[in-house]
Amino acid sequence: MNPVLFPRTEEMLLSMVKAYPEARFMAGGTDLLVALRQKQKALPPLIGLERMEGMGDILREGDEISIGAACTLKEVASHPLTRQHLPLLCQGADSVGGPALRNMATLGGNLCTASPAGDTLPALFLLEARPELLSEKGLRTLSMEAFITGPGRTALLPGELLHRIRIPIPPNAPIQHFEKVGNRNAMAIAVASLAALIRMEQGLVTQARLAWGSVGPKVIRSSEAEAALMGKPLREESLKEAAFYAQKAVQPISDIRASADYRKKVSASLLQRLILYRDSDDKGERS
Amino acid sequence: MPTQISGNATESPSRSPMTIGLPLPRGDARAKACGREPYAADLFPENLLLAQALRSGLPCGRLLELDLEEARQIPGIVAILTAKDVPGSNRQGIIHKDMPVLVEDRIRYCGDPVALLIAENKEAIRSAMSCIRIHAEPSPGVFDLDEAMAENAPLVHEDKPGNMLAKATIQKGKPDFDACAAVVEGWFETPVQAHGFLETEAGTACLLEDGTLRMEVSTQSPFRDRLEISHALGIPFMQVHIHAPSLGGGFGGKDGATVQCLLGLAALHCPGRSVKMLWEREESFVAGYKRHACRMHYRLGALADGSLHSLHARLWYDTGAYAHLGPEVMELGMEHAAGPYRIPHNLTEGFCVHTHTPTGGAMRAFGVCQVSFAFESMMDMLAEKLKQDPLELRLRNALHRGDTNGAGVLLESSTSLAACLEGIRNHPLWQTRRQWQKEAPPFCIRGTGLAAVFNAAGYGGGVRDAAIAKIEMDVKGHFIVHNAVTDMGQGNSSAFLQIAGHILRQSAEALSLRQPDTRSAYPSGSSSAGRTTYTFGKALISACEELASRLINRAGLILFLQNDEGLVLEPGRVRHEPSGRSVSLEQLASFMSLEERVCLGQFIAPVCREVPDTSRGFFIGFPHVIFGYGAHLARVEVDTLTGRVQVKDYLALTDGGAVLNPSMFDQQVQGGVAQGIGYALYEDFITEKGVVKTKDFTTYLMPGSLDLPDILSLAPPVEEEESGPFGMKGIGEVAMNGPLPAIANALRDAGCRRIHKAPIMAEAVLGSLENR
Repeated sequence: MNPVLFPRTEEMLLSMVKAYPEARFMAGGTDLLVALRQKQKALPPLIGLERMEGMGDILREGDEISIGAACTLKEVASHPLTRQHLPLLCQGADSVGGPALRNMATLGGNLCTASPAGDTLPALFLLEARPELLSEKGLRTLSMEAFITGPGRTALLPGELLHRIRIPIPPNAPIQHFEKVGNRNAMAIAVASLAALIRMEQGLVTQARLAWGSVGPKVIRSSEAEAALMGKPLREESLKEAAFYAQKAVQPISDIRASADYRKKVSASLLQRLILYRDSDDKGERS
Repeated sequence: MPTQISGNATESPSRSPMTIGLPLPRGDARAKACGREPYAADLFPENLLLAQALRSGLPCGRLLELDLEEARQIPGIVAILTAKDVPGSNRQGIIHKDMPVLVEDRIRYCGDPVALLIAENKEAIRSAMSCIRIHAEPSPGVFDLDEAMAENAPLVHEDKPGNMLAKATIQKGKPDFDACAAVVEGWFETPVQAHGFLETEAGTACLLEDGTLRMEVSTQSPFRDRLEISHALGIPFMQVHIHAPSLGGGFGGKDGATVQCLLGLAALHCPGRSVKMLWEREESFVAGYKRHACRMHYRLGALADGSLHSLHARLWYDTGAYAHLGPEVMELGMEHAAGPYRIPHNLTEGFCVHTHTPTGGAMRAFGVCQVSFAFESMMDMLAEKLKQDPLELRLRNALHRGDTNGAGVLLESSTSLAACLEGIRNHPLWQTRRQWQKEAPPFCIRGTGLAAVFNAAGYGGGVRDAAIAKIEMDVKGHFIVHNAVTDMGQGNSSAFLQIAGHILRQSAEALSLRQPDTRSAYPSGSSSAGRTTYTFGKALISACEELASRLINRAGLILFLQNDEGLVLEPGRVRHEPSGRSVSLEQLASFMSLEERVCLGQFIAPVCREVPDTSRGFFIGFPHVIFGYGAHLARVEVDTLTGRVQVKDYLALTDGGAVLNPSMFDQQVQGGVAQGIGYALYEDFITEKGVVKTKDFTTYLMPGSLDLPDILSLAPPVEEEESGPFGMKGIGEVAMNGPLPAIANALRDAGCRRIHKAPIMAEAVLGSLENR
């Protein structure tokens, strides 16, 4: 039997990592335990993070929201700070699995699994989240682009832990829109998703950030699609132009859930939904 | 000890007698809500061994050798058995005995069991599994209908040329499409569906000292299991003792041997020890029986006034590696191929084809939900061509009592499809559909679709469809119903309590029920085919009436009354109304021997008296004489950006004859519709070259609570079914047939091009919106 350890402090955690270099970190376990069940071999030691100090809270620090990596998706989706400032992240977190799963699964876990279909990832990219990593050498922070290096791969070094996620509060409350397409309304892995963060001033788009999930090895961005919206009202024509670039940017695969062709079509067509915000005021609310 | 569920004991303070027609709570509600109801999967007897099959992992080939030595050395491994260790015929199958308990030679699908591991614990099994090497010679297989029927295709079974397990026709009249004013034609395809029950295939077994093989197993057919085990393992069938506790779902997937013969084999090799087998979800997906995939070609013609005239239907059922009930599934589909309509000329051809894929077996509305998609799509296509209202077209052609159905059978039993359709016509969901359609939100289109469906009840011609019920009064004056047909969750045991309570005029507290046990109950057939409450219920009525008359007689003796006049059963006693004197049931029980306190009753379901000369190539199961009918309405909303479909409203009117318990009636319909919506929009069991791609609930999607609408179930005024208990007939299956065609028709009404393939995925819907 391999041990299951529950450190409370960074010190305990680092000593456990030293004692069991082959150990796996476990937060909610909703991905890890499923993966381990598939293996025929003996289980590795597990270091559970649920009792760790400083990994389960959501704070405002200056112009940032700082989220402990072991916060559950339910906490992330329902916390007053995230609801007020990061609705995009809340929508992403709220679309993962179902209620029981969101009570277990964590934001840190969703990042570390680094699935191309991770539902919080498009939001974290657009919100310029910075994962903060902890190891015996101390802390370091990375950009999302640097943290996620490929499907299922991150920049975490052996013995290094995702500690917190720091997210700057977007200024001037832009439109934050997330839509996930799955094969059913809950407990479904995304077939495609779109996150949009758009600022309108006097009816014109002054900032546009777009990201797609589940249609490439990592979250997909398209500066051409974003540029196509800039300086214009949100209308069918500019959204269609953005859609044209979106189709070029995404790199979907065919799998049991959907074909590459469908994913491509939907990545483009989901942009049309943004027209519902065309008359939004400068606070990003639909009128 | 056989388990008992009590009637609504301690639940309802009321001492009033149970009454037919009231929405009484289910007898098992409390135990199930509290998690106390014992299922086979929950049993962990002392000193338990575990058994697990090693499966081929190869869809087609020849088993050469198994390298077992290393695995046998693993601590905790008790035995590893192969085909050589099977004492009997090593063959199982409900009718067609073609499925080995353990493979001797030919591997026919990826789930074929090649060895049986028995161990003290799970870890030992896990380790042993990983070090057994299967030496097998793979060979080219046939993985779909086209490959199986191609010239010189490899054969799944050497004695089935062309991989054709069965081939049959129904011919009534002579189809003549030249005589028709409108003809429509189309291909349809339906997927393999998995039952997805919560409790996977499970059981425990023990070989007792006296040679009895005792088994508690999750099964829909405890009495037939004895024969299966006896045949496969070569032991006398009276030595096999089966107990079937409540099932955590069955839907047909536990009709026929799943764990039984493997478990029996394990127990024979470890006398005196209990052995348990519980399939993991992944094993259940690979090795469990499935609904047959089906391909259909339909040609349907009508006269100018909309009267149906001619049908030519061809049906190809993919039955997978073994026969199971393949031919019977196909035949039932053929019997329903013309829909619940009057149609003078029908030629239906059926083909049941083997492939190297998991075995097709029984599943709720077997054979019929496939053809329902085709005939109800055809009806809407015809209505469109004739520019007629789809509801009126169905009403015009609906079967009534006295008509002959599409298979040429004269309908002498209750037939109230028209009442169901009229219920739709008068319902606001139908009447306001155009207004509702206009109010679609942005990026949405809306449509309303109909389906008229039916489903035969009972085994059909050539098979004795009988039940023997037993009711017992114990020494305390309480009653025990000895159920003999499994309750897989559909609520038949609750119906039996209600029937017994009604006849014996007892409250729920005075009644309990014992689930099927082959040593204390009597052969009553399987829990299937919409026959369970119908057949056993009828037998139970006669048993209860006999017991009631014995109690009245005994009370009359005690009260010195010359005859039964004025004597009535009441909760807990028999009372003489004129004098007010009474005898308690406990007192009565103390005067009666066990023999006198037990009554049996039997019933044999009616069969067709004049079998029409319409069928060719049928083995058994034709024709049926009693049908449940239904008319369904679905309102759907389509997201035009994604093609995603949401069913917003669902209405089902069902003709099940008289309703014994309205809430259980609704539950059956709602469950069937939910499973039918899964079949329509979500569920797709996929194999690729014979390898299962959907082995879990992450890849095999079933609808969840957010995907299903409120399902409104109504019982319109219908004819009673004179042959059934209190006028009822089975409705467990018919609701399954409506959703797929109703949703397909609703999508067409919304403005999609017609979709011919299920499940209807967003991608196909989005495609059907292009260049509209």
